[in-house]
Amino acid sequence: MDISVFDTIKNIDDLPTLPSVAMEVIGLSRSAEVSINKVSECIYKDPPLATKVLRVANSAFYRRGATEVDTLHRAILMMGLNEIINITTSVSVLSILPPKGSEGETLRKAFWDHCIATGLIARHIDKKLGMRSMGREFVGGLLHDIGKIILDEYFHKEYMEAHAFSIDVDCPMYEAELEVLGTTHMEIGHFLAQKWDLPGYIADITLYHHQPGEAQYKDITALISISDLLAKAKEFSCGGDRLSFVLTDQPAWHMLKQMGYPVHMIDIERFTFEIEDIGKEVNNYISTFSEPGAEGFVHE
Amino acid sequence: MSELRTSAGTAQMTDDNFRLLRDFIYEHSGIYFSDTKKAQLENRLMLRLRANNLTDYDKYYYMLKYDPQASKEMRSLFDSVTTNETSFFRSPPQIQAFQEKALPELMNNRENIGEKTLRLWSAGCSTGDEPYTMAIIVKELLQERLSEWDVKIFASDISEKALRSARSATYNEYTLRSVPPEIKKKYFVPDGSQYKINDEIRMLVELQYLNFNDSKRVRLMRGFDAIFCRNVLIYFDDTAKKRFVSQLYDNLNPGGYLFIGHSESLHNISRAFKLVHFPGALGYKKE
Ligand SMILES: C[S@@+](CC[C@H](N)C(=O)[O-])C[C@H]1O[C@@H](n2cnc3c(N)ncnc32)[C@H](O)[C@@H]1O
Ligand SMILES: [Fe+2]
Ligand SMILES: [Fe+2]
Repeated sequence: MDISVFDTIKNIDDLPTLPSVAMEVIGLSRSAEVSINKVSECIYKDPPLATKVLRVANSAFYRRGATEVDTLHRAILMMGLNEIINITTSVSVLSILPPKGSEGETLRKAFWDHCIATGLIARHIDKKLGMRSMGREFVGGLLHDIGKIILDEYFHKEYMEAHAFSIDVDCPMYEAELEVLGTTHMEIGHFLAQKWDLPGYIADITLYHHQPGEAQYKDITALISISDLLAKAKEFSCGGDRLSFVLTDQPAWHMLKQMGYPVHMIDIERFTFEIEDIGKEVNNYISTFSEPGAEGFVHE
Repeated sequence: MSELRTSAGTAQMTDDNFRLLRDFIYEHSGIYFSDTKKAQLENRLMLRLRANNLTDYDKYYYMLKYDPQASKEMRSLFDSVTTNETSFFRSPPQIQAFQEKALPELMNNRENIGEKTLRLWSAGCSTGDEPYTMAIIVKELLQERLSEWDVKIFASDISEKALRSARSATYNEYTLRSVPPEIKKKYFVPDGSQYKINDEIRMLVELQYLNFNDSKRVRLMRGFDAIFCRNVLIYFDDTAKKRFVSQLYDNLNPGGYLFIGHSESLHNISRAFKLVHFPGALGYKKE
């Protein structure tokens, strides 16, 4: 290839953009004067988005109480600002890069399934270890491989080649990507996270989930790194990576241990079996986001 | 109270009978019937009583303990108290992990030291479905190169009945339900409504009676590259599990793998192994 894939992607004009309201909400989450009113007002500026956020907040996955939450204000009271901001981010990303790709739908769905599984697994581990990531772990898992979606969208043919290569040679996807496309999904994901002005921890996760030691946000990147592996071990392998690993030998495992998280308390075997049920959760989650009537999310 | 239920012609197992027999079985096999399994044990031993023309469980217990023929009866007892449920290619992701990951790795290690030998063990092989599956996989992996290798798959069980069936190597459609059609065509010979394993595969497998409780004999099982002990430990209590698993560890070569049943766990049983996540399955590695 004459011009590098990375450069090409950088220069694509119609690279998907996050809805402006989503960007604003994410921006708010960083500001000192974030408040319930500010966030809910902001989301209401985009009525379809607001509707969808409410629907997700009421889904089996998130719902906390018995009664339906019918205003964002109430949703925030019930679930906390962080969770609502996370839902907004997830909803927005999934709506601009839906599980249906322009080509090769089967793999695209598999990529997203893997990402959602990673988010769900991260949520479980976060709880087990008492990490209190406040929902950041879910968004982090959801977005960690966003670079794969972009590569698949804009370089579908080459990406399928990389995928086949990784299976043939039995190497990680990122090595296959480097070989075939000269870039990696980490590099692309990181670029996108910056372009979308996503929070620093997400940028870190996209870039370093395969080398958590390099990350600034070490806890959450290590958490996602482990969750990513476990998602693969349970065949949400997003194609390609079918590698074996020893969890307790992983750098991320040692990092979490060093940071004082009680990793030794986890019954890894039992947890691995529990993850089997996550397949069901993944499907529930996807359907939460893609019910009819929720489609036709028009921005501009 | 031990009384004869005349209507059904069957004896009733008292709580005391249950404890004595339960402990006897445990002591001789490691198989443990917890208090909740009394009805199950009673069900299984009813036939033994009948076969020996005995009227109550006291007499049966006495026979097991003091009769000169006890060792013969014990084999039948083991036939009755074991669950021999099995099938070919059981837990496919695990079989796949063995085929695609563990076995190639083990063979590589062997070849690197210039020793083309492979020793596998199906511990608790039941009717042979598991060891023959292992043999088929080795053959699939090596193809014609199989002749260059010295491959032996030991297969052992405590149930004579199961072993007899394994020796006949003849199976019905149902136990072959997970076998891919092309594998079925290649390695099975139709035999009436049944299917028989072909000779090449059968020759790889060596069947033998072995009670895991017989530590002396278990200790002699040495030098294995991989051991399948799937859906066997579930019948033991933790003490028996620990004892047996630590023996299995010793039975493995360094670098060798132990596979236990899908969704079984060694979490509280052994820390000797390294837990390996294969795609879709777990394995235990001796380092
Ligand atoms: C449920 S079968 C499992 C067969 C096969 N491994 C599988 O996973 O399909 C359990 C087998 O373990 C055998 N077994 C139970 N206790 C044993 C013991 N103490 N020594 C040897 N075999 C035993 C039983 O006879 C039975 O055939
Ligand atoms: Fe990745
Ligand atoms: Fe991933």
